[in-house]
Amino acid sequence: MKHIISDVPAIPIVSHEKPDGSRWTIREKLLLGLSPSEYRAQFIRNPVNWLLICIFAVGIPIIIQRYLFGLASVTHASNDYPWGLFLGFGLFGMVPLSASGFMLGTTVEVFGRKDFHPIERLALLNGLLGYFFAVVYLEVDLGMPWRLPYPMFVSLGPAAVLFLVAWHVATYLSVQIAELVPAFCEWYGWLKGKRFIRSIILGLTIAGIILSTLHQGALGALFTYAPGKVHPLWYSDAFQWIHFFCSSIFAGLSMLIVASTLCKYFMRWRCDERFLDSVDRLTLGLGKGCAYAMITYLVIKIVAVAHDNEYAYLLTGWGQYYLLELGIGVVLPMFLFAYGVKHARVGLVRFAAVISALGIIWNRINTALIAFNWDLYQEIPHWKEVWITITIYSLYFITYRFILYRLPILYEWKGAK
Amino acid sequence: MQRGNHVTQAALTAALAALLFLPAPGRAMDATDAPESIEIDSMSELYGPVSFDHLMHTEIAQCAQCHHHTTGTGPASPFCGRCHDGAEEAESVACTDCHPVRRFYADYLMTLEDPELYHIDKPGLKGAYHLNCRGCHAKVGGPTGCQDCHLMTEAGEKRFDTGQFAPAAAGERVRAHH
Amino acid sequence: MKVKARISRRSFLGSGLAGTVAASVIGERPAEAAQDFQGYPDAMGVIVDLTRCVGCRSCEAACNKEQKLPQPAEPFNDYSVFDHTHHGQKRRTDETRYTVVNKYELPEIDHPLFRKIQCNHCNEPACLTSCFVNAYTKTPEGAVIYNPKVCVGCRTCMVACPFYIPAFRYSSAFHARIMKCIFCYDTRLKYGKPPACVEACPQEALTFGKRRELLDLAHHRIRENPGRYVDYVYGEHEVGGTSWMYLSGVDFDKVGMDMHLPKEPILKFVKDFLAIVPMVLTIWPALFAGIHLLATRKDTGTAEGNDENGEG
Repeated sequence: MKHIISDVPAIPIVSHEKPDGSRWTIREKLLLGLSPSEYRAQFIRNPVNWLLICIFAVGIPIIIQRYLFGLASVTHASNDYPWGLFLGFGLFGMVPLSASGFMLGTTVEVFGRKDFHPIERLALLNGLLGYFFAVVYLEVDLGMPWRLPYPMFVSLGPAAVLFLVAWHVATYLSVQIAELVPAFCEWYGWLKGKRFIRSIILGLTIAGIILSTLHQGALGALFTYAPGKVHPLWYSDAFQWIHFFCSSIFAGLSMLIVASTLCKYFMRWRCDERFLDSVDRLTLGLGKGCAYAMITYLVIKIVAVAHDNEYAYLLTGWGQYYLLELGIGVVLPMFLFAYGVKHARVGLVRFAAVISALGIIWNRINTALIAFNWDLYQEIPHWKEVWITITIYSLYFITYRFILYRLPILYEWKGAK
Repeated sequence: MQRGNHVTQAALTAALAALLFLPAPGRAMDATDAPESIEIDSMSELYGPVSFDHLMHTEIAQCAQCHHHTTGTGPASPFCGRCHDGAEEAESVACTDCHPVRRFYADYLMTLEDPELYHIDKPGLKGAYHLNCRGCHAKVGGPTGCQDCHLMTEAGEKRFDTGQFAPAAAGERVRAHH
Repeated sequence: MKVKARISRRSFLGSGLAGTVAASVIGERPAEAAQDFQGYPDAMGVIVDLTRCVGCRSCEAACNKEQKLPQPAEPFNDYSVFDHTHHGQKRRTDETRYTVVNKYELPEIDHPLFRKIQCNHCNEPACLTSCFVNAYTKTPEGAVIYNPKVCVGCRTCMVACPFYIPAFRYSSAFHARIMKCIFCYDTRLKYGKPPACVEACPQEALTFGKRRELLDLAHHRIRENPGRYVDYVYGEHEVGGTSWMYLSGVDFDKVGMDMHLPKEPILKFVKDFLAIVPMVLTIWPALFAGIHLLATRKDTGTAEGNDENGEG
């Protein structure tokens, strides 16, 4: 990509107008201003794409198999573990990592921290795509995926926690789409839409906070339906939702640091000076937020153990595993964040963010799969289930990259706003 | 079922007496009054009728063990004896006179709502047979397999997916079981 | 009365959440939400007397035919199935069977014990309360029935069920659904007949009747047969009480029954979270709008004037 871009002076596209004053067409914008053959050449040159092709070559047929022959053809069809990797990773893992949208929306629009502006759209996009693909994972996992709208319009079970999740994720997806409409409008050249969204952005942001608080918490509260099945250390009927909500704060921020790092090093041509100049400083700011969220989370985790008087469990094998998760997934990155921020070591903060993002996935998989049915047996996912999970994640990666290449996320639109 | 209204004073054989817990007081039917064998077929559907050798059972068990308090002797269970010791011989001693076939159907369940009713736990006919017969068999070493007493009918094979209705793969293995 | 209270609580939450705001409605909530549903007064039930069960599997066979379930891999009079295990676990309900009898051999007893499992038809079922499309119904007759026409296949009910009963028809892409015992509601229970398994049981190990009378019967049976039973009726209080209850001659955990289940309905554990929902819905907007006004005051003096600064 870089090579081709640097060969053509008019690219990357940052404005509706070509250097000669004529307008880029939508097709040209879609192909990044390259000719189809140039586009193909840059696609083939990238080794990441080869990896993706390999993943899809196996993954797409397996997904088709799942839709033709049922979940039993790609999973172990366990009645004891109704939720496998699709939800354990795809829903419970992706959603907290996507909390960046409402976090940065709050920081910029509600707290008035305009200095975080260069990274706000990346945060919103990270949020939107994470939620969208959590729904994609859900669509793979649901027995009757064609009935996804049923809880909204056909048969309502409003006293159920999942009802909250469904409604809030659906409305929050709409909110996030609305929040990103300005970026799309600039790129597409439809400015009325953008101005309308600007006028309601505060309302959207606050709606986003409410919905996020509730559905991040609700994902945790889902496990309060299984008080005896989840290991007591990963379970707390009073605090489960706070654990999930609180950890989503640093999960979202960490994921944003990871995404911005990848953009800085692998998509530099697409970033503008404003982004590149501020990303290190903003990373430190985000890292500080992470450290504070993590200490809060850690305290609530300890309070939960104390509240239910579960100290004895800490001495068992499960307890050591629990402490390992907290130690590697929370305490270690927390200190790295704190140290990195204090001494302005951006690299360290980025490293901490990677650990903390992985730590949150680890926590969610522990809650949903490992510590679930803890005194029954451990279900190891079928390889096809793993492969589908990776395939969907690759799809997420491609979509993410596709949008970052084009829409004014990492750069400011120079054309009409 | 067996019928009899012949009444004499109890004069039990020595063989029987050895099996008894206590000699029963009062009047009682003589075991020899009863039929020698009985075909129990009132509910046969999945299994065929039971050919019950009544005479043989009178030689090894007390009347009251099956007929409780209806044959004029006190019931075998001291628990039942709290009310039924010294009970008169009943006009009919058939199991089905007391134990309902439709034990769990709404019409019978209604009768259980009577607050005066003590026998809230009286088994239905099928339960009474199996609990009593099979329960005793298990204790004294009698046959306890289903087909030891009654052979499975075609309807039974269909119900149990066995015999001619066995799943293709499992046909061989079934024969080992009763 | 209690039933009504429950329904109104549900419909309240519907309007509260679906409308996302509606603070006026929220005020009505606490008094009614505090009540637990104790079960329908005339609900039917079954006592499973483990001291009577001989492991003949007649109930499994009867259920299979009554519910038109697929033909089993082994005949119902094949007793080698008792040795089947899955990850070290004894047989459980799945998409081909709504009920299963398992065998337990205890060193202190000279004969094996058998235990039937099926849906226990809770008074306040976890499957029902966790279902976000209302696919489950607790009928006044006591049955917990399922409507496959609205089910989305999320399987939260399977996660929620403390007895591991609902199973999923994973084998089908187009006719996937939850498979679970419905107390023979459609074909028998609502016509005043006992479920097929009860009718089939030769030993009367299954005693069918009104739940409230069965409780009397169960305690009566314990009282009148000293030494025969453990003095405990499993299901009398487990997870808020179940329509199907158990009597046993040995400690229940020795025949694979979970003695650590809470005595309250599963819903109780979820209520902590449900209670904060209206608070977040009402307090958050005011709180964050206030923070916004404070945080941006020094920039422009008004919130509206701030908007053009936010241009991206």
